[in-house]
Amino acid sequence: MLPHFSSLRPKTKGEALTYLSDLDRAKLLAGGTDLLVRMKRGESHDYLIDITAIEELSGAVLNGGRIRVGAGTTHRSLSLSPLVLESARSLAQAASWIGSPQIRTMGTIGGNLVNASPAADSIPPLLVHDALLTLESMDGERTERVEDFIIAPYTTTTTGREMLTALSLEPLPAYEEGYRRVAKRAAWAISRLGIAWSILEQEGTFADVRLAIGSCTPLPFRARKVERFLTGRKREIAVTREAVKICLDEIRRISGERPSFTYKLPVVRDLLQAILGGR
Amino acid sequence: MFVGKELVRVDARAKAVGSAAFAYDLKTEDALFACVFRSERHHGRIRNIDLGEALALEGVVRILSAKDIPGRNLFGSIRKDQPFLADGIVRFAGEPILVVVGKDEGIARRAITLIKVDYEDLTPVLSAADAAVSPVLVREKGNVLSYRTLRKGDIDRGFAEADVVVEHTFTTQWVDHAFMETEAGFAYPDGDGRINIRSSTQNVHYKRSEVAAMLGVPDGQIRVLQATTGGGFGGKLDVTVEGFLGLAVHHLKRPVMMRYTREESFLSNTKRHPLSIEYKMGARKDGTLTAVKANIIGDTGPYASYGETVCLRAAVHATGPYEVPHVSIDSRMFLTNNPISGAMRGFGIPQLAFAHESQLDEIASLLRIDPIDIRMRNALKKGSLTATSQKLSASAGLLETLKQVEPFWRQRQKQGKGAGFGLGCMYYGIGNTGVPNPANAHVELGDEGKVILHTGACEIGQGSDTVLLQILLDTLEIEPRDVVLDRGDTDTSLDAGSSSASRQTYISGKAVHEAGLRMREFLERQGYYRGKDLRDIYRFAKDEQPLRFDGYFDPPARAIDGETSQGAPYATYGFATHMAEIRVEEATGECRVRRVHASHDVGKAINPNLIRGQIQGGVAMGIGFALMEEFTPGKTSSFDTYYLPTSMDMPEIEVMLVEDPEPSGPYGAKGVGEPALIPQAASIVNALRDAVGVKVYELPCNVERLKILLEKKEKT
Repeated sequence: MLPHFSSLRPKTKGEALTYLSDLDRAKLLAGGTDLLVRMKRGESHDYLIDITAIEELSGAVLNGGRIRVGAGTTHRSLSLSPLVLESARSLAQAASWIGSPQIRTMGTIGGNLVNASPAADSIPPLLVHDALLTLESMDGERTERVEDFIIAPYTTTTTGREMLTALSLEPLPAYEEGYRRVAKRAAWAISRLGIAWSILEQEGTFADVRLAIGSCTPLPFRARKVERFLTGRKREIAVTREAVKICLDEIRRISGERPSFTYKLPVVRDLLQAILGGR
Repeated sequence: MFVGKELVRVDARAKAVGSAAFAYDLKTEDALFACVFRSERHHGRIRNIDLGEALALEGVVRILSAKDIPGRNLFGSIRKDQPFLADGIVRFAGEPILVVVGKDEGIARRAITLIKVDYEDLTPVLSAADAAVSPVLVREKGNVLSYRTLRKGDIDRGFAEADVVVEHTFTTQWVDHAFMETEAGFAYPDGDGRINIRSSTQNVHYKRSEVAAMLGVPDGQIRVLQATTGGGFGGKLDVTVEGFLGLAVHHLKRPVMMRYTREESFLSNTKRHPLSIEYKMGARKDGTLTAVKANIIGDTGPYASYGETVCLRAAVHATGPYEVPHVSIDSRMFLTNNPISGAMRGFGIPQLAFAHESQLDEIASLLRIDPIDIRMRNALKKGSLTATSQKLSASAGLLETLKQVEPFWRQRQKQGKGAGFGLGCMYYGIGNTGVPNPANAHVELGDEGKVILHTGACEIGQGSDTVLLQILLDTLEIEPRDVVLDRGDTDTSLDAGSSSASRQTYISGKAVHEAGLRMREFLERQGYYRGKDLRDIYRFAKDEQPLRFDGYFDPPARAIDGETSQGAPYATYGFATHMAEIRVEEATGECRVRRVHASHDVGKAINPNLIRGQIQGGVAMGIGFALMEEFTPGKTSSFDTYYLPTSMDMPEIEVMLVEDPEPSGPYGAKGVGEPALIPQAASIVNALRDAVGVKVYELPCNVERLKILLEKKEKT
């Protein structure tokens, strides 16, 4: 059962920021698909500020050469956005796998990000697109890289008086791109593993490679060592095999050995090999 | 004629528009709410209970303990060994200790968090293997709840005659029923001082007798009515909320509501037995089975529930639906401090089917025989002797189910990497094992010439209301509008036994048919079949004689021998063949079931559409059992960590029916509720071997286990 709380539903960003600044024990509600579950288990707040009615927080548009995604954009609308499907396909795919239809209709990209679960499907694609986050408060605005924003499982740099308002993604329309997740059933399941990739191949050579892996290490991570190794090398089996090996070493270096790796590392190996390809 | 027709379920409209009243919908404004404080320890002695803070909470009305039980503080379907409320000792984490009654649900649940119990920990017994050797006794009489043996022929000779012998150990997991509606009930005192309990249940008369004994009052002081019930699968056979509700109303004389949270349901409800099955099977070169030897070991938790039933059923069905001349089975259930395992769809047979079907496929592959041919060669048929040496005289359509699947099997073509096909067969004794298990029913001609059907058979979603109605309609040659259904009320119906063991269509169906035949004789005399109106018959006859006609049926099954289990424990059996087509992604260990062909011998399909529904549900549950569902005590607490298949995991399902009539059943019908599930997991496991060459000996074969099996295969 939910504890008692007061609910506010601002129509503008300014109104929401004023509430955040003025009210103590207030929490932003951006869909509630994680927050309400936690509150049913005992977490309590005096005020919930529901930001889903703020129109300027919703939608994905091309802006100054980058994709600007409002933090209140739902998973469902991300998965259907022509712009996202064209220029950040892994994000559209990841969004289409989150939870159930009900959760995708309520849940938002901003909420998913601030919740910062190690298994969040949206994070690996954001890493691949070098997402920059805009955080606003009554005191001003700051920009942070998604990699710096999440500092530990379920922990971010945001303060209680701040609101994540927008994400800015680098569009990668010419890239091969996708998101693959593995779960215990076909749908409505927490990912056991998720890989986002974006690859630019030119004349048989890796011109640019971006890989991000979720649900494997304590925080989803960009496999930059693998990316550096691949860039400029031929897309052939000897190379991609070596890249897979580097990736597995990198995961072990980050996490040490974990019981789940008996399963996860062979899956990373096989999926990554299939993604990188090469003959 | 209505039998054999796809009559729309009588409850379809009410359930579709939301007007069907589940227990929670019956709650009145003034109802109190009760919830249960449960043991936090596996095994311990209660030293002290501190209720101070909880009682001080405003709105807490009463906290009841074992001391407040005026009658017998024990219940159990098979043997009375489980306390309603712990009396000094707790034997599993989740065992009820106190009932807290509050003004509303929030208060009652908050009060629970304020109760402090001081335990003296006792060493827990946490596995069957441990129970076998531990000096710690879970119960005073020792740690073996039940030990059953089956001996047929000469087992040594059987293996001596075999050209090939395979032997493996199979293990299965705890499974939760995961019904959509958790345990719930609403109870209230009536003007006569009686206690009325309306609950989500699979039986009403049994619950009434348990509550009456607990309160030390005659059965007549208690009335149990079935509320609309959101699923049972065996998990609502044992007393759940009914005892606590009866106790609360007894003391408070006020209406009381209870419903479990999902977490509470996972914690407290009985589970499917985890079994370890050492299984040895021998065959001649031509595939003819010569011997089966099995050693079955189960963990049943600290209380009997249906542990003995599963122990015995597993033993008598251990060979699968095949003629095996030499059989030796040992089946044991150990008491532990794990959750109680009890009745769940199939009573141990889905676990055994996993073992015997895997073994049969391995023999087939060693002998280079097609899996369908080895099944046809050994299939039970009319005239066959089962493992208990029961001669099947009728309604034994296994071969026909195999023949229905055969064209799809022979034409199968693997499409793509990781594709595979598997077969699973089963037989299942309908009704309880070697004991009387009768059902009553009666019909009445009432006001305005309505025929009232009184049955104690609980509708738990399986469709018994509709099936019983169809049987009555044909027996009397009347129309649906002529009938009023009065179901699941201990005041107005006689005991029909539980909705379990796939028994209601067969047993209650026959009782309804018998009652209908008696009414038919009466209507015949009154001229109904010569055109007289039911209303006129009622007006004319109501003062002359009671217009009530009783029906009763007890299947002709007999007790089996205590040592050899030889005999005829069931009057009839269901038979089925499932064929599964799967696709495995080797990179990830994901397995999707793409298509299922399911053929069932149901005797007579009273309502083919309802049977299709049962089979689709059985396939879903079988996919869960094979590939994902697993309850881990202390870890699994909700659907967060307990994976049930969703619609996205469901295959296309082709249902085919065989109607080899059962002479003792109504219009030739028998049962299908559990058969629908039993062969499904087995067929998936066999398809895994076909698809990627892995041998599965442990369920569930979830993504992780499957990937690890694939890795091991790579290495060897």
